[in-house]
Amino acid sequence: MAGEKLNLVDVVPEKQEGPSFKRISDFIDFIKKELKPRGNIATPFNLISLPIMLLGYVLIVLRLAYGLGQPITNLNQQYPWGLWIGFDVVTGVAFAGGAYVLCFIVYILRVEKYHAIIRATVLNGFLAYLFYAGAIVLDIGRWWNIYNPMIGNDFGVNAVMFLVAWHFFLYMLAELVEFSPAIAEWLGLRRLRKILGIMTLGAVVFGITLSTLHQSGLGALMMMAKSKIHPLWYTEFIPILYFVSSIFAGLSMVIFEGSITHKVFSYQVDASHHEHYNDILVGLARICSVAMFGYFFLKVLLVVHEHAVQYINSPMGYWWLFEVIGFILVPCFLFASGAQQRNMAMIKFAAIITMVGIILNRLNYTFLAYNWYVPLSEKYWPSWIELIITASIILTEVWAFRWMVNRMPVLKAPPAWAVEKEH
Amino acid sequence: MDELFTYYDMFASKGPEYLIIIGFFIVIVAFWTFVNMSTER
Repeated sequence: MAGEKLNLVDVVPEKQEGPSFKRISDFIDFIKKELKPRGNIATPFNLISLPIMLLGYVLIVLRLAYGLGQPITNLNQQYPWGLWIGFDVVTGVAFAGGAYVLCFIVYILRVEKYHAIIRATVLNGFLAYLFYAGAIVLDIGRWWNIYNPMIGNDFGVNAVMFLVAWHFFLYMLAELVEFSPAIAEWLGLRRLRKILGIMTLGAVVFGITLSTLHQSGLGALMMMAKSKIHPLWYTEFIPILYFVSSIFAGLSMVIFEGSITHKVFSYQVDASHHEHYNDILVGLARICSVAMFGYFFLKVLLVVHEHAVQYINSPMGYWWLFEVIGFILVPCFLFASGAQQRNMAMIKFAAIITMVGIILNRLNYTFLAYNWYVPLSEKYWPSWIELIITASIILTEVWAFRWMVNRMPVLKAPPAWAVEKEH
Repeated sequence: MDELFTYYDMFASKGPEYLIIIGFFIVIVAFWTFVNMSTER
């Protein structure tokens, strides 16, 4: 073993050792160099996304300056939760759930098969929390008071939002620690890399604990609106539904995002990863199908338990059936069938349908099945400014993800000195 | 004696819920077998 280690260090060429900083100016020069774009800038994606992002930033400034009222958003006293809380925060956090599920599988259950995608998933989860959960700033009327739950200026410990605020904050830190070995490898900080590597397992355990609580905590938030949410969706078990759905929502996002990343950054991925990638997708599809199967029964059980079966034969009941059959039962069997036949196209298709279903489910809670007795003409629909800001946040996250993947060892192999330390 | 005995009709109170859960445990076995059945193309 010692011989192997020595040999491994010996064969590492000098250029793979990572940067070394003798002075602060070296570090600043390195960061400046890394901030510069690489490759062709005028790609179709950049040309489309950049104007949307810039427009979004201007609109964010306007929202922060002029508040939540018209014409910035269509929110009102009847509909205080709109697209930003329903999609950016609640849906975004469910999609980020892949990180805690995969960390549990890899670091706690020690299923090494999924190790190859763990860094990309954790990075995606971290950025999702940073941008989507960060978007909660836009939803708060007096956004300049956002630090209050942190500094103890009227803690409000009875509020679900207190739990959610602290959990988001702590989970972001936990995910940063989980991803930090990659940052240390990028900067060539060997000693720090060793310390951060030791901290990872603790951060994972802490992160999983936080995730189970705040995924369900977001569901608990919806329980405040008992009289406003349609009985087919309202149940005292919403937190459990939110937690269980975050498992397959997150893994569907891992399949979707991973498939795109695998294609776009294929030159960074080594041959053995390419070879085993289909096995990873099949494994994830199996987990999704079983979780969705359980979730489907849970949905049916809770409708019976809440005595809401009578509402099935109504327009809202048909909408509920559309969600439950079309976006839970159908993708559940598509995942199962795709895993059984090793049909990757079917698995990816099922992941997309599942993600659409999760968006639909979360939007049902925040405004579609919310105030369900209000006529359609008086319902809340997001304004164009809300849509542009949402698109801008998503695209910024994609840009940040691309920047980090292109520079840090996320998909590509870590430097030899870091691999040697892991053994 | 009658007052000491309270009869709970399980099916009148939580019957359907019990049946759904029992049904789930039966069907999950078949589903798990289906998921793990390999028919590689």
